Amino acid sequence: MKLGVLLSDHKTDSDVLGRLTAEKLGIILVGNGTYLATIKENGKASPILDKTSNLYVLVEDLESRGLSAANVDSRVKPVTYSDVVDLIFNDYEKIIWL
Amino acid sequence: MAITKLAFIVRSLPYKTEASRLALTHAIASQTVEIYLEDGDNVEPVLCYIGDGVLNCLKNQQAGKHYGITSLEQHAKNSLLLDLKVMICKEDVDKFGLKEDQLVMDAEDIGGETNAQLVPYSEIQKVMEEVDHLQFF
Repeated sequence: MKLGVLLSDHKTDSDVLGRLTAEKLGIILVGNGTYLATIKENGKASPILDKTSNLYVLVEDLESRGLSAANVDSRVKPVTYSDVVDLIFNDYEKIIWL
Repeated sequence: MAITKLAFIVRSLPYKTEASRLALTHAIASQTVEIYLEDGDNVEPVLCYIGDGVLNCLKNQQAGKHYGITSLEQHAKNSLLLDLKVMICKEDVDKFGLKEDQLVMDAEDIGGETNAQLVPYSEIQKVMEEVDHLQFF
């Protein structure tokens, strides 16, 4: 299964995310999930960024919050809305929202 | 004659819910309540940002550009323009690795003369103990 996860919370239920397995797992950080790509709480990046190598963050939501693509963790790829649509239609068979 | 002290404590992130926006609009609106009170009565609001709430204070929020909505940054400036006492928890700012120059600490660009204060949590705790009404958002 190729599974895309849209993550819109900053404090997320990591148990749910931690138990998800997929042949290909992608995490798309949107809304308040964008803080996970930029803010290092107590100097540490979010453990969610270790979950997969397919990490994306929505630039529009970053910039709405006063963050920028320049501050994004190097493991996360900044993407636009149209990129997200392409990811959903081309790269993943199933999409869930956490 | 009485002064009623109000504390608006913002602990929520901006945008996903209306919570932090409501805190700011309520705090700002409290400045106008004087017209409904008896002579000599008034309210004294304090706006405090703690925990995730400090992220409402980040500069360069572009919510207007992308979503056509007023940014929390603009609300934060409006609160300073109206001389609200604004306190931001230093420990939480440090926890997120933020610096003071990344935060809305003044509203000089729109004519404000009041500055926000970066304070230890103990000072915000003191405010919470002193006020008549405590509201968390």
